[in-house]
Amino acid sequence: KTSPTITMLYFAAASTSIGLTSEQVTLPLGQSQTESPEHREAELKFPLSSLPSLLLSLHPTALNLKQILDTSQWSVNVEMVDSDDMDKIELKGGEEVAVICPVSGG
Amino acid sequence: MSSMILPSASFETRSEIAGATCALSYTLDVPTIIQSVNDGAGANVHFIGTTRNSFQGKVVTRLEYQAYSKLAIKTMAEIVGTAFENFKPIRCAVHHRLGTVPVGEPSIVVAVSAPHRKEAFRACEFILEEVKRKAQIWKRGKLDIILSYSI
Repeated sequence: KTSPTITMLYFAAASTSIGLTSEQVTLPLGQSQTESPEHREAELKFPLSSLPSLLLSLHPTALNLKQILDTSQWSVNVEMVDSDDMDKIELKGGEEVAVICPVSGG
Repeated sequence: MSSMILPSASFETRSEIAGATCALSYTLDVPTIIQSVNDGAGANVHFIGTTRNSFQGKVVTRLEYQAYSKLAIKTMAEIVGTAFENFKPIRCAVHHRLGTVPVGEPSIVVAVSAPHRKEAFRACEFILEEVKRKAQIWKRGKLDIILSYSI
């Protein structure tokens, strides 16, 4: 049984730091055989607020990555996520997630 | 200086909805963009942003722009939609360049036509400021000549 993955997109400072413009990230979702349906369901979702530390653990030598992620916004499936909703957005696999560093267009 | 990795999510795209054109493209045809909003409306306002030749005392020879195109074009279309609600222009166009933009060349063009000049100026300014504030576009300066002047 394969683990769910998300597609990460990186731009600007985030891509310079990580050295990638995109990657597939496996979500560390629970694989336990617990009988409780509530427990099982909770384990199948990964809150967006947990993603920064997951990315940091995947890229331990990326320069300034923590600072970059701390000052970035996020988008999920081509929609910006409000900072207040980071806990409420839950990823279950298949989403396209982007790190949106402070923009500088125009 | 390391070369920039270009994201595949940064590509040319365009959105046209009822008198509102938004585009991300590798070239900007300024006269055509200006003409595209001309509807005999009376007031036409255009803003052209060109790349500056200096940044923090260093000489810049070109800028590179990348975008999360799918999201940036959505954001730009929402901004133009709000401009229509707030100022009631006749036509709006906002075009942003992607890729390398040599110094002095346009990186963004905003063009608005409206029956009266007040709405045209306000809509143009609104679109420009909101695009700068929210559109998922990033620039990177190429500092080919490293000359710094202390302030």
